[in-house]
Amino acid sequence: MDQIYIPKNRAGFAIGNYVVIKQLEERQENPAEKLYFYGVKELEPVKLKIIHQVLELINKSISNYENIFITGSFLEKGFNFNDIDFLIIIKNKINHELIRRDIEKETGINAHIITLSSKELSRGLETDPLYQMMLSRCIAKKRFILKIKNKIDYKILDLHLLKSKTLINNFDMLSGKEKYDLARNLIVIYLYLKRNKINTDFVNKKIKEALGLSIQEIKDNIIDKKEFLKRYKLIYNKSFATILKGIEHGSKQE
Amino acid sequence: MVQNRNKLINLFIGNVSNAVVHEILERAVSKEVMADRYRKELVTSLEIAKNYREKINPINRSLPDKDVAYIKEKIIARVKAEIMTRISKGYKNIDLNLIDSLTDKALRDSKIK
Repeated sequence: MDQIYIPKNRAGFAIGNYVVIKQLEERQENPAEKLYFYGVKELEPVKLKIIHQVLELINKSISNYENIFITGSFLEKGFNFNDIDFLIIIKNKINHELIRRDIEKETGINAHIITLSSKELSRGLETDPLYQMMLSRCIAKKRFILKIKNKIDYKILDLHLLKSKTLINNFDMLSGKEKYDLARNLIVIYLYLKRNKINTDFVNKKIKEALGLSIQEIKDNIIDKKEFLKRYKLIYNKSFATILKGIEHGSKQE
Repeated sequence: MVQNRNKLINLFIGNVSNAVVHEILERAVSKEVMADRYRKELVTSLEIAKNYREKINPINRSLPDKDVAYIKEKIIARVKAEIMTRISKGYKNIDLNLIDSLTDKALRDSKIK
Protein backbone atom coordinates (compact mmCIF):
# COMPACT_ATOMS: atom_id res chain seq x y z
CA MET A 1 0.00 0.00 0.00
CA ASP A 2 1.26 3.51 -0.82
CA GLN A 3 1.26 6.19 1.84
CA ILE A 4 0.85 9.94 1.72
CA TYR A 5 2.47 12.10 4.39
CA ILE A 6 0.95 15.41 5.45
CA PRO A 7 2.22 17.79 8.18
CA LYS A 8 0.99 17.07 11.66
CA ASN A 9 0.31 20.75 12.38
CA ARG A 10 -1.99 21.83 9.58
CA ALA A 11 -4.97 23.95 8.85
CA GLY A 12 -7.84 21.75 7.66
CA PHE A 13 -7.78 18.01 6.96
CA ALA A 14 -9.12 17.04 10.37
CA ILE A 15 -8.89 13.41 11.31
CA GLY A 16 -11.73 11.48 9.70
CA ASN A 17 -12.28 13.95 6.85
CA TYR A 18 -12.77 12.53 3.40
CA VAL A 19 -10.27 13.91 0.90
CA VAL A 20 -9.51 13.63 -2.78
CA ILE A 21 -5.96 12.80 -3.84
CA LYS A 22 -5.01 14.67 -6.97
CA GLN A 23 -1.73 15.10 -8.88
CA LEU A 24 -0.53 18.67 -8.48
CA GLU A 25 1.31 18.93 -11.84
CA GLU A 26 -0.72 17.43 -14.57
CA ARG A 27 0.37 16.96 -18.14
CA GLN A 28 -1.55 19.60 -20.03
CA GLU A 29 -2.67 18.62 -23.48
CA ASN A 30 -3.27 22.31 -24.03
CA PRO A 31 -6.06 21.99 -26.57
CA ALA A 32 -6.15 25.76 -26.93
CA GLU A 33 -2.72 25.87 -28.54
CA LYS A 34 -3.22 26.53 -32.17
CA LEU A 35 -0.79 25.50 -34.83
CA TYR A 36 -0.54 26.97 -38.30
CA PHE A 37 -0.71 24.66 -41.28
CA TYR A 38 0.90 25.61 -44.58
CA GLY A 39 0.40 23.31 -47.56
CA VAL A 40 -0.66 20.47 -45.25
CA LYS A 41 -4.17 19.44 -46.16
CA GLU A 42 -4.63 16.77 -43.55
CA LEU A 43 -2.68 15.14 -40.80
CA GLU A 44 -3.33 11.96 -38.87
CA PRO A 45 -4.51 12.78 -35.29
CA VAL A 46 -1.75 10.65 -33.80
CA LYS A 47 0.88 12.73 -35.61
CA LEU A 48 -0.71 15.92 -34.34
CA LYS A 49 -0.56 14.54 -30.83
CA ILE A 50 3.14 13.76 -31.29
CA ILE A 51 3.77 17.30 -32.56
CA HIS A 52 2.05 18.82 -29.51
CA GLN A 53 4.01 16.51 -27.26
CA VAL A 54 7.31 17.51 -28.87
CA LEU A 55 6.51 21.21 -28.88
CA GLU A 56 5.81 20.96 -25.17
CA LEU A 57 9.24 19.40 -24.69
CA ILE A 58 10.93 22.12 -26.72
CA ASN A 59 8.99 24.79 -24.81
CA LYS A 60 10.37 23.46 -21.56
CA SER A 61 13.96 23.67 -22.81
CA ILE A 62 13.96 26.83 -24.91
CA SER A 63 11.93 29.92 -24.31
CA ASN A 64 13.44 32.56 -26.58
CA TYR A 65 12.78 31.01 -29.97
CA GLU A 66 11.07 33.07 -32.63
CA ASN A 67 9.24 30.20 -34.30
CA ILE A 68 9.31 26.44 -34.74
CA PHE A 69 8.55 24.68 -38.02
CA ILE A 70 7.80 21.02 -38.51
CA THR A 71 8.64 19.90 -42.03
CA GLY A 72 9.62 16.93 -44.13
CA SER A 73 8.31 13.41 -44.65
CA PHE A 74 6.52 13.33 -41.27
CA LEU A 75 3.85 15.55 -42.81
CA GLU A 76 3.25 13.24 -45.73
CA LYS A 77 0.26 10.93 -45.63
CA GLY A 78 0.88 7.63 -43.88
CA PHE A 79 3.64 6.45 -41.66
CA ASN A 80 6.51 6.01 -44.08
CA PHE A 81 8.71 8.64 -42.47
CA ASN A 82 12.25 8.28 -41.12
CA ASP A 83 12.27 11.15 -38.68
CA ILE A 84 10.64 14.44 -37.74
CA ASP A 85 12.33 17.56 -39.04
CA PHE A 86 12.25 20.59 -36.79
CA LEU A 87 13.45 23.99 -37.78
CA ILE A 88 13.88 26.24 -34.76
CA ILE A 89 14.28 29.92 -35.48
CA ILE A 90 16.34 31.39 -32.70
CA LYS A 91 18.78 34.27 -32.41
CA ASN A 92 21.39 32.57 -30.24
CA LYS A 93 23.16 29.34 -31.02
CA ILE A 94 21.89 26.51 -28.82
CA ASN A 95 22.97 22.95 -28.24
CA HIS A 96 19.92 21.01 -29.31
CA GLU A 97 21.36 17.56 -28.70
CA LEU A 98 19.62 17.24 -25.32
CA ILE A 99 16.26 18.19 -26.80
CA ARG A 100 16.80 15.73 -29.64
CA ARG A 101 17.46 12.95 -27.15
CA ASP A 102 14.42 13.90 -25.06
CA ILE A 103 12.22 13.81 -28.14
CA GLU A 104 13.51 10.39 -29.10
CA LYS A 105 13.03 9.12 -25.56
CA GLU A 106 9.51 10.50 -25.32
CA THR A 107 8.20 9.59 -28.77
CA GLY A 108 10.53 6.85 -30.02
CA ILE A 109 10.98 8.81 -33.24
CA ASN A 110 14.26 10.21 -34.54
CA ALA A 111 14.28 13.98 -34.48
CA HIS A 112 16.30 16.06 -36.89
CA ILE A 113 16.68 19.57 -35.54
CA ILE A 114 18.08 22.53 -37.42
CA THR A 115 18.50 25.86 -35.68
CA LEU A 116 18.79 29.05 -37.69
CA SER A 117 18.54 32.73 -36.98
CA SER A 118 15.80 34.57 -38.85
CA LYS A 119 18.53 36.25 -40.92
CA GLU A 120 19.96 32.89 -41.95
CA LEU A 121 16.49 31.62 -42.80
CA SER A 122 15.78 34.65 -44.98
CA ARG A 123 19.10 34.23 -46.76
CA GLY A 124 18.43 30.50 -47.26
CA LEU A 125 14.96 31.21 -48.61
CA GLU A 126 16.28 33.83 -51.00
CA THR A 127 19.06 31.77 -52.52
CA ASP A 128 18.24 28.12 -51.93
CA PRO A 129 15.18 26.57 -53.57
CA LEU A 130 15.29 23.60 -51.22
CA TYR A 131 14.52 25.93 -48.31
CA GLN A 132 11.54 27.27 -50.20
CA MET A 133 10.34 23.75 -50.79
CA MET A 134 10.82 22.85 -47.15
CA LEU A 135 8.60 25.69 -45.96
CA SER A 136 6.01 25.25 -48.69
CA ARG A 137 4.67 22.34 -46.64
CA CYS A 138 5.06 22.83 -42.94
CA ILE A 139 3.35 23.32 -39.61
CA ALA A 140 4.39 26.41 -37.69
CA LYS A 141 4.10 27.18 -34.02
CA LYS A 142 3.47 30.82 -34.82
CA ARG A 143 1.88 32.44 -37.82
CA PHE A 144 4.34 33.59 -40.44
CA ILE A 145 4.23 35.20 -43.83
CA LEU A 146 6.57 33.88 -46.48
CA LYS A 147 7.89 36.85 -48.39
CA ILE A 148 10.55 35.56 -50.72
CA LYS A 149 12.54 37.63 -53.11
CA ASN A 150 14.20 35.08 -55.37
CA LYS A 151 17.83 35.89 -55.86
CA ILE A 152 19.53 33.55 -58.26
CA ASP A 153 23.12 33.10 -57.15
CA TYR A 154 24.65 30.86 -59.80
CA LYS A 155 27.74 30.02 -57.78
CA ILE A 156 25.68 28.73 -54.89
CA LEU A 157 23.43 26.77 -57.23
CA ASP A 158 26.55 25.29 -58.87
CA LEU A 159 27.63 24.05 -55.48
CA HIS A 160 24.22 22.59 -54.70
CA LEU A 161 23.94 20.96 -58.12
CA LEU A 162 27.32 19.27 -57.79
CA LYS A 163 25.84 17.12 -55.01
CA SER A 164 23.41 15.57 -57.47
CA LYS A 165 26.25 14.51 -59.77
CA THR A 166 26.89 11.71 -57.30
CA LEU A 167 23.92 9.78 -58.65
CA ILE A 168 25.24 9.59 -62.20
CA ASN A 169 28.35 7.56 -61.41
CA ASN A 170 27.11 5.66 -58.39
CA PHE A 171 23.66 4.50 -59.41
CA ASP A 172 24.18 0.90 -58.29
CA MET A 173 25.55 1.86 -54.92
CA LEU A 174 22.79 4.19 -53.79
CA SER A 175 19.57 3.27 -52.01
CA GLY A 176 16.19 4.37 -53.34
CA LYS A 177 15.91 7.05 -50.66
CA GLU A 178 19.36 8.45 -51.53
CA LYS A 179 18.44 8.47 -55.22
CA TYR A 180 15.21 10.30 -54.45
CA ASP A 181 17.00 12.95 -52.35
CA LEU A 182 19.58 13.58 -55.09
CA ALA A 183 16.94 13.61 -57.86
CA ARG A 184 14.78 16.01 -55.88
CA ASN A 185 17.76 18.31 -55.36
CA LEU A 186 18.40 18.27 -59.11
CA ILE A 187 14.79 18.93 -60.11
CA VAL A 188 14.36 21.71 -57.55
CA ILE A 189 17.43 23.51 -58.95
CA TYR A 190 16.28 22.90 -62.53
CA LEU A 191 12.86 24.43 -61.81
CA TYR A 192 14.33 27.30 -59.83
CA LEU A 193 16.62 28.20 -62.73
CA LYS A 194 13.52 28.36 -64.89
CA ARG A 195 12.11 30.89 -62.42
CA ASN A 196 9.38 28.59 -61.19
CA LYS A 197 7.83 29.02 -57.79
CA ILE A 198 8.94 26.07 -55.69
CA ASN A 199 6.57 24.01 -53.59
CA THR A 200 6.40 20.34 -52.67
CA ASP A 201 3.43 19.32 -54.84
CA PHE A 202 4.80 21.07 -57.90
CA VAL A 203 8.25 19.53 -57.47
CA ASN A 204 6.86 16.03 -56.95
CA LYS A 205 4.74 16.40 -60.06
CA LYS A 206 7.75 17.59 -62.06
CA ILE A 207 9.96 14.75 -60.79
CA LYS A 208 7.43 12.32 -62.20
CA GLU A 209 7.22 14.17 -65.50
CA ALA A 210 10.94 14.68 -65.93
CA LEU A 211 12.21 11.31 -64.75
CA GLY A 212 9.23 9.18 -65.76
CA LEU A 213 8.83 7.59 -62.34
CA SER A 214 6.67 8.20 -59.31
CA ILE A 215 8.29 9.28 -56.05
CA GLN A 216 7.42 5.92 -54.53
CA GLU A 217 9.02 4.00 -57.39
CA ILE A 218 12.24 5.96 -56.93
CA LYS A 219 12.19 5.52 -53.17
CA ASP A 220 11.53 1.81 -53.59
CA ASN A 221 14.43 1.64 -56.06
CA ILE A 222 12.25 0.13 -58.78
CA ILE A 223 14.06 1.95 -61.56
CA ASP A 224 14.98 1.25 -65.17
CA LYS A 225 18.61 2.36 -64.86
CA LYS A 226 19.25 3.16 -68.53
CA GLU A 227 16.13 5.24 -69.07
CA PHE A 228 16.37 6.96 -65.72
CA LEU A 229 20.01 7.95 -66.15
CA LYS A 230 19.37 9.19 -69.68
CA ARG A 231 16.69 11.58 -68.43
CA TYR A 232 18.64 12.50 -65.31
CA LYS A 233 21.83 13.34 -67.22
CA LEU A 234 19.90 15.47 -69.68
CA ILE A 235 18.41 17.59 -66.90
CA TYR A 236 21.72 17.73 -65.06
CA ASN A 237 23.60 18.92 -68.16
CA LYS A 238 20.94 21.51 -69.02
CA SER A 239 21.02 22.88 -65.48
CA PHE A 240 24.81 22.96 -65.40
CA ALA A 241 24.93 24.78 -68.75
CA THR A 242 22.47 27.40 -67.47
CA ILE A 243 24.55 27.86 -64.33
CA LEU A 244 27.79 28.29 -66.30
CA LYS A 245 26.07 30.80 -68.54
CA GLY A 246 24.85 32.65 -65.47
CA ILE A 247 28.34 32.70 -63.95
CA GLU A 248 29.76 33.96 -67.24
CA HIS A 249 27.12 36.67 -67.51
CA GLY A 250 27.64 37.67 -63.88
CA SER A 251 31.40 37.93 -64.26
CA LYS A 252 31.01 40.24 -67.25
CA GLN A 253 28.85 42.56 -65.17
CA GLU A 254 31.37 42.73 -62.31
CA MET B 1 39.21 -9.64 -60.40
CA VAL B 2 41.85 -7.12 -61.59
CA GLN B 3 39.24 -5.57 -63.84
CA ASN B 4 36.90 -5.25 -60.87
CA ARG B 5 39.64 -3.61 -58.80
CA ASN B 6 40.35 -1.11 -61.59
CA LYS B 7 36.65 -0.32 -61.83
CA LEU B 8 36.45 0.29 -58.09
CA ILE B 9 39.54 2.52 -58.24
CA ASN B 10 37.98 4.55 -61.05
CA LEU B 11 34.75 4.96 -59.10
CA PHE B 12 36.79 5.98 -56.07
CA ILE B 13 38.67 8.55 -58.19
CA GLY B 14 35.43 10.00 -59.55
CA ASN B 15 33.94 10.49 -56.12
CA VAL B 16 37.03 11.95 -54.48
CA SER B 17 37.40 14.34 -57.44
CA ASN B 18 33.82 15.48 -56.96
CA ALA B 19 34.39 15.94 -53.23
CA VAL B 20 37.56 18.01 -53.82
CA VAL B 21 35.83 20.20 -56.43
CA HIS B 22 32.96 20.73 -54.01
CA GLU B 23 35.31 21.70 -51.19
CA ILE B 24 37.19 24.19 -53.39
CA LEU B 25 33.99 25.81 -54.67
CA GLU B 26 32.54 25.89 -51.18
CA ARG B 27 35.58 27.80 -49.96
CA ALA B 28 35.23 30.21 -52.88
CA VAL B 29 31.70 31.14 -51.82
CA SER B 30 32.04 30.35 -48.10
CA LYS B 31 30.40 33.54 -46.85
CA GLU B 32 27.29 32.88 -48.85
CA VAL B 33 26.62 29.26 -47.92
CA MET B 34 25.81 29.77 -44.29
CA ALA B 35 22.35 28.31 -44.51
CA ASP B 36 23.10 25.00 -46.18
CA ARG B 37 22.46 22.77 -43.21
CA TYR B 38 19.34 21.26 -44.70
CA ARG B 39 21.12 19.89 -47.75
CA LYS B 40 23.95 18.44 -45.67
CA GLU B 41 21.71 15.43 -45.22
CA LEU B 42 22.43 14.35 -48.79
CA VAL B 43 24.81 11.48 -49.25
CA THR B 44 28.24 12.91 -50.06
CA SER B 45 30.81 11.87 -52.64
CA LEU B 46 33.39 11.33 -49.93
CA GLU B 47 31.13 8.91 -48.04
CA ILE B 48 30.60 6.95 -51.25
CA ALA B 49 34.33 7.04 -52.02
CA LYS B 50 34.99 5.53 -48.60
CA ASN B 51 32.53 2.73 -49.38
CA TYR B 52 34.46 1.93 -52.56
CA ARG B 53 37.74 2.12 -50.66
CA GLU B 54 36.54 -0.63 -48.33
CA LYS B 55 36.36 -2.94 -51.33
CA ILE B 56 39.79 -2.16 -52.76
CA ASN B 57 42.64 -4.43 -51.66
CA PRO B 58 44.70 -4.07 -49.53
CA ILE B 59 41.85 -3.00 -47.27
CA ASN B 60 43.68 -2.45 -43.99
CA ARG B 61 46.82 -0.66 -45.16
CA SER B 62 47.93 1.86 -47.74
CA LEU B 63 47.91 0.98 -51.40
CA PRO B 64 51.23 0.42 -53.20
CA ASP B 65 53.04 3.66 -54.11
CA LYS B 66 52.42 3.06 -57.79
CA ASP B 67 48.64 2.92 -57.23
CA VAL B 68 48.68 5.96 -54.95
CA ALA B 69 50.58 7.99 -57.57
CA TYR B 70 48.16 6.88 -60.30
CA ILE B 71 45.06 7.73 -58.21
CA LYS B 72 46.43 11.11 -57.14
CA GLU B 73 47.41 12.04 -60.68
CA LYS B 74 43.94 11.14 -62.02
CA ILE B 75 42.12 13.02 -59.26
CA ILE B 76 44.20 16.17 -59.78
CA ALA B 77 43.61 16.05 -63.55
CA ARG B 78 39.84 15.67 -63.12
CA VAL B 79 39.58 18.38 -60.50
CA LYS B 80 41.65 20.77 -62.62
CA ALA B 81 39.42 20.14 -65.62
CA GLU B 82 36.27 20.85 -63.60
CA ILE B 83 37.71 23.97 -62.02
CA MET B 84 39.15 25.30 -65.29
CA THR B 85 35.70 24.99 -66.93
CA ARG B 86 34.42 27.38 -64.31
CA ILE B 87 37.39 29.73 -64.40
CA SER B 88 37.05 30.01 -68.19
CA LYS B 89 33.51 31.29 -67.59
CA GLY B 90 34.77 33.99 -65.27
CA TYR B 91 34.48 32.26 -61.89
CA LYS B 92 36.76 34.12 -59.49
CA ASN B 93 38.28 33.54 -56.04
CA ILE B 94 39.18 29.93 -56.75
CA ASP B 95 42.34 28.83 -55.00
CA LEU B 96 44.02 26.31 -57.30
CA ASN B 97 46.69 25.64 -54.69
CA LEU B 98 44.09 23.77 -52.68
CA ILE B 99 43.85 20.93 -55.22
CA ASP B 100 47.01 19.16 -54.12
CA SER B 101 46.51 19.50 -50.37
CA LEU B 102 42.80 18.56 -50.43
CA THR B 103 43.54 15.53 -52.62
CA ASP B 104 46.26 14.42 -50.22
CA LYS B 105 43.91 14.85 -47.28
CA ALA B 106 41.15 12.84 -48.97
CA LEU B 107 43.61 10.04 -49.77
CA ARG B 108 44.85 9.95 -46.19
CA ASP B 109 41.33 10.04 -44.76
CA SER B 110 40.28 7.12 -46.89
CA LYS B 111 43.48 5.19 -46.05
CA ILE B 112 44.67 5.02 -49.62
CA LYS B 113 47.90 6.70 -48.57
